[in-house]
Amino acid sequence: MLKQLNRADLDLLLTQISDEYRLQVPQLLADGTRQLAGYTGEAELSLTGEVLQRKPSAFFFPQTQRLLDIDTAGAVAVPQPAEKPLALFGLNQADLAGIRFLDRFFRAAPADDAYLRQRNGALLIGLTGMAGPDNCFLSLSAGDCDIELVAVKESWLALGHSSDGEKLLQNFPEGDKTQLVRMRHLNEGTAAESDLLQQASQLLIEDRVPDQFWMEIADRCILCSGCNLVCPTCSCFCVQDRNRGEITERSRVWDSCQLDAFMREASGHNPLGTDALRTRRRIHHKLAADVERWGEFGCVACGRCDRTCPTGIGMMAVAEEMVKCFGPGKP
Amino acid sequence: MNATLTTCPYCGTGCNFYLLSDDRGRLSGVEPAAKHPVSRGQLCIKGWNAHAFVDHPKRLKTPLIRKNGKLQPTDWQTALDLLHDKLSEIAAKEGPDSLMFLSSAKVSNEENYLLMKLARAGYGTNNIDHCARLCHSSTVTGLVETLGSGAMTNSLSCFEETELVFVIGSNTTEQHPLIGSRILQAVQRGAKLLVADSRKIRLSRHADLHLRHQNGSDVALLNGMMWQILQDGLENRAFIAQRTENFSALQHSLKAFTPDYVARITGLQPGQIIAAARQFATSDRAMIVYAMGITQHSHGVDNVRAISNLALLTGNLGRPGTGINPLRGQNNVQGACDMGALPDVYSGYQKVSDPQIREKFSTAWSVKLPETPGRMSTHAIEAAAGGELHGMLVLGENPVISDANQALVRQALGKLEFLAVIDIFLTETAQLADLVLPAACYAERDGTFTSTERRVQRGRKVIEPPGDARADWQILVALLHRCGLKNDYTAPAEIMHEIASLTPSYGGIDYSRLEGDGLQWPCPDPAHPGSPILHLEECARGKGHFSPVDYRPPGELPDAEYPLLLNTGRTAFHWHTGSMTRRSHLLDREERHAFVEVNPEDAITYQISERQQLKISSRRGSIYAATRVTDRVPSGQIFIPFHFAEAAANVLTNNLLDPESGIPEFKVCAVRIEPC
Repeated sequence: MLKQLNRADLDLLLTQISDEYRLQVPQLLADGTRQLAGYTGEAELSLTGEVLQRKPSAFFFPQTQRLLDIDTAGAVAVPQPAEKPLALFGLNQADLAGIRFLDRFFRAAPADDAYLRQRNGALLIGLTGMAGPDNCFLSLSAGDCDIELVAVKESWLALGHSSDGEKLLQNFPEGDKTQLVRMRHLNEGTAAESDLLQQASQLLIEDRVPDQFWMEIADRCILCSGCNLVCPTCSCFCVQDRNRGEITERSRVWDSCQLDAFMREASGHNPLGTDALRTRRRIHHKLAADVERWGEFGCVACGRCDRTCPTGIGMMAVAEEMVKCFGPGKP
Repeated sequence: MNATLTTCPYCGTGCNFYLLSDDRGRLSGVEPAAKHPVSRGQLCIKGWNAHAFVDHPKRLKTPLIRKNGKLQPTDWQTALDLLHDKLSEIAAKEGPDSLMFLSSAKVSNEENYLLMKLARAGYGTNNIDHCARLCHSSTVTGLVETLGSGAMTNSLSCFEETELVFVIGSNTTEQHPLIGSRILQAVQRGAKLLVADSRKIRLSRHADLHLRHQNGSDVALLNGMMWQILQDGLENRAFIAQRTENFSALQHSLKAFTPDYVARITGLQPGQIIAAARQFATSDRAMIVYAMGITQHSHGVDNVRAISNLALLTGNLGRPGTGINPLRGQNNVQGACDMGALPDVYSGYQKVSDPQIREKFSTAWSVKLPETPGRMSTHAIEAAAGGELHGMLVLGENPVISDANQALVRQALGKLEFLAVIDIFLTETAQLADLVLPAACYAERDGTFTSTERRVQRGRKVIEPPGDARADWQILVALLHRCGLKNDYTAPAEIMHEIASLTPSYGGIDYSRLEGDGLQWPCPDPAHPGSPILHLEECARGKGHFSPVDYRPPGELPDAEYPLLLNTGRTAFHWHTGSMTRRSHLLDREERHAFVEVNPEDAITYQISERQQLKISSRRGSIYAATRVTDRVPSGQIFIPFHFAEAAANVLTNNLLDPESGIPEFKVCAVRIEPC
């Protein structure tokens, strides 16, 4: 199915979606931060621009998420799902890949009910094509969304990748196939980032990166944990209980493998007891361990860790340095 | 999910982030502001967890009154009446100066202003102070004398333009992480880094030179560097001639500080001192960054003077990429000082002792004002212990854990006839109070905060406070009402109007102008764009004043009975007395227990192993903490963070005060350790 939406059509589509879903749309917040926020029909949409600040997967796996309440008699109450499912609009190819990665992890048996309460029935709407900063090109999705809007000049090609998506698009006008072909052509030249990750991954798998490298990278880490918290494929959490008299609230909160206490044992011993080991783990997990487990990188190249790292040791920066030091042509 | 932009409650860097809240009015997370000039999409670990303590079950929800020795819930009317009656009664019986008011670097400018007004206009005393006494009082005293303004001279953006950063007594990557990261970025692009710190802090791994001088020998080190600069003829003669005064006195004062002499005092090699001097003086644009390692000494003001002398000698002032950059600790410690929560000045550092200034405030507030400057908080504790002080109102401070010599603090507070505490948790200080009032935290009230680079920014209300808790400004307005003073403020923005009308450096500050990046003071009028760099053409006082200083050793050095030097400070994961961070799950999990850093050589001498419990004793008391064997501390020194009430470092510390700034000697005292 290929449809074409002008601005009025887009507004109509979003209004229709918002009837059935809790629709989140890209907006510019007070200081210009570009982030998903609740659709009101009034606030201006940000239809082109930088990668969304907060990772969209945070709607399904938020920083703090209530798991259950336990009362003094031992009765357990689990939060009810919201009346309407979520719809997230404005996801780029990496955002969608991140959600697909998390889906596979949290849906694997035993399925994670807290995640599914938010995720089940949710509608994902990709925004690709000429929708980057200054209308630059964003890679097309892998079809891992319900609807994909591909920005072309002053309109959007609309692809329905699921039956829900197709249903929502059915009444809109047919799209221009030649424009889609042009977009797919552009898409073929966007693999530079994954080439870099591929080379870095190979170095790790072949064990060609010495400990000294990790010590030098770790020396630059100021232990903010941001790289983990912004990562759309990071799924680690810890559990927090808060006792309010009659009720104990159990929640999970985002955790970070860059923290000493992440692996510290009760005795005080820590198998990942140095900054260097933890830094190595962060990169190795995404580029080597995940490849072995899932057959793909745990990095979707969204760029968020590089953006949020105060000292410039995000994934891409480290991969680049690794390849520069130990890549092809180096002894 | 709702996202509200606000200012981080922790350090003075001034990062902005979005607090995320759900429809039930509970916070669910934090997201850094991408376009804010300070945070730039980044935060430190405390910032990323700044939502976590807000919803803690132990938040205070009702006023508490002590009955039959126990704190019991009461209503606001009873609590506020009692507070006012007690303060008035003590003032009438013992005189207004028998009261003490402790304000807070954690509350807004507006709230600091109101408490300052309440103390002076409401209860008739200048006895108001706050925790800047424990952190940068030495800076305010020292830099006002030499430059005419006690604030950071330059801006954080200056790290992008500097050629050299000289960090002395600041563990920047842990205590101001987003400033520390700017220093690391400067190093990455080729700037030089000099670090002077006895501990191997993270920055030292990146330093061109790491000077591990003895704690308390800063004056000697800085004088030695200046001696060498003069010896090499590397001083900035044009700057000295045009912009400074008293140079010959400085020259004269430095005569004894040869590298050999300084090496003996500091424990450094003469060559290290010479190299530091040459690297510093041959850089065209050098920034000096300092914090508690400089200020928290019985000669803290002298340390600051020496730093100022070094900057003036080399002309590193009034230009981008230079300056004297004291990093302020709390998110509003700059603002609390600016607002006159100090015993000797009204807002904008206008002197209480100046009759014209007093007249101005007296007219504005329609009340006669006290003439004598009040007591510093550290002197107030001594006075209370000596029975000279009878009533105290503490707003959001925890002196039982934060002040030096805890036994003295407990004795002092115990002797008071009446102690009232306004706070968000039942802190160790609140536990001793006769009356406790529950306050809203940063996420539950509006107000402005002034960061270390003098940037006045908004803090925004995101959710309602728990139970009956109220915003501090509302509590203070209720007391102003009882004192018969103006009390019709309906929002903090209105309080800021009054502040702007009476405070020249804040004259152009208005909420309507604070929606973007905030404004850096001085901002004297509504059209003024703010001042990223101070002392541009001339210093605030006119000429930069060289203020020669001699080396004085710390008050209590190790001896046969107490053979080790105790250094105190903080960790990256906890904030001060821990009332917020120890109630934040991830931060608490990272550092859950008190610890003491011991050098490997000392561990062998004392036969101590990793994680072993140690008894640490000074002349003032003993605590127990787990050993961390590490070469971060030099041999002969131990380090203990002061966050942990159950092993409070300040049980041990020495309350010897700097004679001018009243700051205690937190960074040096003598202790002994015993394995147990």
